[in-house]
Amino acid sequence: MRLKYLFPYWCRFLGWGLVILHVPLSMLGRAHGMTNIMDPQPRDQGIFAGEHLFFICTTLLMSAGLFLVAFAKEKIEDEQISHIRLDSLRWAIFINYLVLIISLVFIEDVPHMLELNLWVPLIFFIIRFRWVIWRLNQSLKREA
Amino acid sequence: MKNNIRVERAIKDMTQADLAEAVSVSRQTINTIESNKYVPSTVLALKIAKVFNKPLEEIFMLEEGD
Repeated sequence: MRLKYLFPYWCRFLGWGLVILHVPLSMLGRAHGMTNIMDPQPRDQGIFAGEHLFFICTTLLMSAGLFLVAFAKEKIEDEQISHIRLDSLRWAIFINYLVLIISLVFIEDVPHMLELNLWVPLIFFIIRFRWVIWRLNQSLKREA
Repeated sequence: MKNNIRVERAIKDMTQADLAEAVSVSRQTINTIESNKYVPSTVLALKIAKVFNKPLEEIFMLEEGD
């Protein structure tokens, strides 16, 4: 089976690099008093104002990183991997909507819900996908 | 669905890695098919049968309840 729309294998490492890079960058931003766009904004800001631009950059870095990690090919991309990929995607969507519905009912903080929605599907997908592959490897080692 | 890939491999003196390489999948995939945890696609099943030079039905069999 030939799979289209997946990034090459090395993109996984690039993705993790971007995610890791995002952490010190946003910490630096916070240390310099930059607020998160999701926090209540006391003053009016333009789209290209420094803080907004900084937030966009770090968020883009993080989400692009997660996206690359999630949708990079495995070393051997076969039909079982695509089956696991699809199954994990299904679980990620389930969990995302569960979290979304629960937070809609119980939380009134809409901007943070948006932020949550940005991460939950990708992070849950990555965790579930890697966990299943790890379990497969473990069972292979047990048999060897 | 049951299969006797393990037996066929032993007859041909092939390891899981050999078979995996012959049909371009990972060793994990062959392992999970052998232990009946994963049902291969028709394409992969046909490729495996071709490696063993046997008809598909001699390698993969339906179980009761399938």
